[in-house]
Amino acid sequence: MTVPSGPAPAAVPAVRCRSLGVSFGAVRALHDVSLDLGPGRIHALVGQNGAGKTTLAKVLGGLQAPDSGDVHVAGRKLPSGDVRAARAAGLAMVHQHFSLPPSFTVAEALELSAFRPTGRPVYRRAELRRRWQSAAAEMGGEAVLSTRVRDLPVETRQSLEIVRALATDARIVILDEPTALLTPAAIDTLFERLRRLRDDGVTVLVVLHKLREVAAVADTVSVLRDGELVLGPSEMSEVSQGRLSDAIVGPASEADRAVGVETTADGGRRTLLELVRVSSRESAFEPGLRSIDLSVETREIVGVAGVEGNGQRSLVSVIAGLGAVVEGSVVLGGTEMTRAPPARRRQRGLRLVPFDRNSEGISRVAPVWLNQSALRLIGWRQRRLPLISLRYYKRQAAEAMDHWQVRYDSVTQPAESLSGGNVQRLILSREMAPGLEVLVAAQPTRGLDFSATNFVRRSLRRLRDSGAGVLLVSSDLDELFELSDRLLVMYGGSIVARFEAPYDRRAVGDAMTGALR
Amino acid sequence: MTGGLQRLASTIVLVGFSFLLTALVLWTSGYGVGDVFSGTIQGAITATGAATSTVRWAIPLLLIGLGVVIGFRAGFFNIGGQGQFYMGACAALVVSLGWRGGPATLVILCGTAAAIIAGSAWSLLPGYLRVRFGTDEVLTTLMMNFIGALVLQYLTAGPMRNPSGTGQTAASERIPEAFRITDSSGVSATVLLLVGGVAVLVWLLLERTRFGLTMTLVGRNPTMARWQGIDVRRVGLVTFGLSGALAGLAGAVELHGPGARLVTGFSPEVGFTAVVVALVGLLSVWGTVVAAIFFGGLQSAILFLPIVTDLPPPALVLLHGMVAFLVTVKFRSARRRRAPLVPEALAD
Repeated sequence: MTVPSGPAPAAVPAVRCRSLGVSFGAVRALHDVSLDLGPGRIHALVGQNGAGKTTLAKVLGGLQAPDSGDVHVAGRKLPSGDVRAARAAGLAMVHQHFSLPPSFTVAEALELSAFRPTGRPVYRRAELRRRWQSAAAEMGGEAVLSTRVRDLPVETRQSLEIVRALATDARIVILDEPTALLTPAAIDTLFERLRRLRDDGVTVLVVLHKLREVAAVADTVSVLRDGELVLGPSEMSEVSQGRLSDAIVGPASEADRAVGVETTADGGRRTLLELVRVSSRESAFEPGLRSIDLSVETREIVGVAGVEGNGQRSLVSVIAGLGAVVEGSVVLGGTEMTRAPPARRRQRGLRLVPFDRNSEGISRVAPVWLNQSALRLIGWRQRRLPLISLRYYKRQAAEAMDHWQVRYDSVTQPAESLSGGNVQRLILSREMAPGLEVLVAAQPTRGLDFSATNFVRRSLRRLRDSGAGVLLVSSDLDELFELSDRLLVMYGGSIVARFEAPYDRRAVGDAMTGALR
Repeated sequence: MTGGLQRLASTIVLVGFSFLLTALVLWTSGYGVGDVFSGTIQGAITATGAATSTVRWAIPLLLIGLGVVIGFRAGFFNIGGQGQFYMGACAALVVSLGWRGGPATLVILCGTAAAIIAGSAWSLLPGYLRVRFGTDEVLTTLMMNFIGALVLQYLTAGPMRNPSGTGQTAASERIPEAFRITDSSGVSATVLLLVGGVAVLVWLLLERTRFGLTMTLVGRNPTMARWQGIDVRRVGLVTFGLSGALAGLAGAVELHGPGARLVTGFSPEVGFTAVVVALVGLLSVWGTVVAAIFFGGLQSAILFLPIVTDLPPPALVLLHGMVAFLVTVKFRSARRRRAPLVPEALAD
């Protein structure tokens, strides 16, 4: 990677913020943040979940009016909290969450947000398709222009959001955690794009989580911690990795308390989950399972590697009881469960951390205590009286959440008010309740910050050590290598390779890309 | 909780605003606003028999409204209360007229049971379509209202018609006096106990049972509920069944109570008003009780006003409409902020 020899010191910064402050109630999201972003460079913004990164991005994009301070673009002051003015000034934003209308086709969604629409009030589908063919090709995957946005898998939806923002003629692009949902290959493609944009003179501000990604793409780096700018913007070449992580975590970071897990597993080695030649129907974006053989025993973490979209979702759905099995059998705790409803599998000790924690893992609008108590609602611990005590439920939820170090204000707040890391802790606190035999964790650390990621990984390891079985589905090879006792690689709906530690990164990579076949 | 207080305050402001708007329309049309409102108070509360009449009209509104509340809890918009109410009344009528010689208590119980079954059946059909195929229940429950009204018309003009009837609209024969649980005022201790008991039971179901929590979870995010092992379809069917059962029960209370016979197209708005009652009641059980009494009072006043003022009867319906309109606007905007219901999660 070549770093251009920086602009002349006298150049007007592309973006300048002066003493920005934002508070939400008692929470101080940003405090006295002053930041100059030089033109034509890639600026990384890092920090833990809840450090204020998204808030800062929103202030710059005009989506959030700051309580104090102001934003200047190319020397001119932006009216605060005005999205149109920000766009007119050449700012484009790629959000962390999806913002495109789900019922639109890809082509329509792109046209909708284009700066220069076709100019006619009536459009023809064929014309739209011609216009956006090349943009869609950059999304990668098998995205089709006539596909509806809601039918796209999360990865492709995320790429589409990026393509959309880049398709406008923005001079400054702000990306809020764009890599959180992308595969490693897609991340490389994205970074390549960002570099091309920079070389065209566009200023890029990208919120990132992983230091490796920062090192790979950024020219400068800034660190937010608890709403304050604690480092930067500093040239990447002048900051050591160690100093960066210190800045992110802060001094004397509280050591995470040990989190115990109760399982019913005893000393002996047993097979907890077994799939025998399981095949399932293919879905719109994933191949179905093709004769999958897999088993998870007590005291082991079985990793499932693979480029996303190679049947991992089908695999997790089939185990959860939400996907139809065409052939083969699913055995849980020694009991044949191929056709058993999800509730019975849960009763057998199956626990799940689903792929998409905000839509599958929690209800965003329901209070945290209800989210935490969801597993109690299945009728396997029937009490004689049908009536329940909400106070008891809330207290139990609060205890479990405290145990799992979920940071919340009140058990009645909606789950959407929690940060990503805390949502995942909430899900873990629910799924790892007593009775657990085998946990299927799908991308459990995706989009989480350093400390939350470490927390989740430690929890999985501790779970294994206490006797449970874990099936870890992930696209993060480092994570898989670190945690897995055995590693399976999925490709095109089949398991194409099985590895034992120590892992050969090259061999696993070959298997993931289908080079073995 | 401040969120709850805020919603309560905004609802009260909204109802007050409806009064203001109505007063404005009446004033510009040249009616004495003071007379009209004092007449409304009289008709709802102070005049002889007014309070009883208020309660009489509040009863069907409350029962159907509670059904709407139950539906909403699991994320379903049952606006078929009118049809389910009619079907309940029809079923009770068929039992009462078909078994005239039966012991009164038994006939009333059977009639009520038949009404509950008919009401829930009328709701389960759209419910099944919803959970099996993802058919929009707003449309189907609405359409089922018209079929229900036609069934009522068929019975009152056909097999159950009172041949000696002289009214302009067809009406059924009267059920025997012994089969009634109130006099024509529509209020008796039995009915009050019944309705109060139902309200308490619905509250317990929604707020103090695991099934109630399950419904809440399904209503908030069916996808997540499925991942948690909840049988979303079954919860949906039970919800629709309960919702329709309450409307059917309201039909039985109407027949065995103040009605004693069924007239083609009787109480034509009660099912729709009940939806507004549930919304004004903020979709909570006790809120719905209060709102039902409020709208019962309005209904009673509408019937009373022509006696004391020169106001044409439809004029007060205006107030009714204002509240309904404003509540709907408020509800729609609140709903848009909520997470969308994911139909795929229900339709598989």
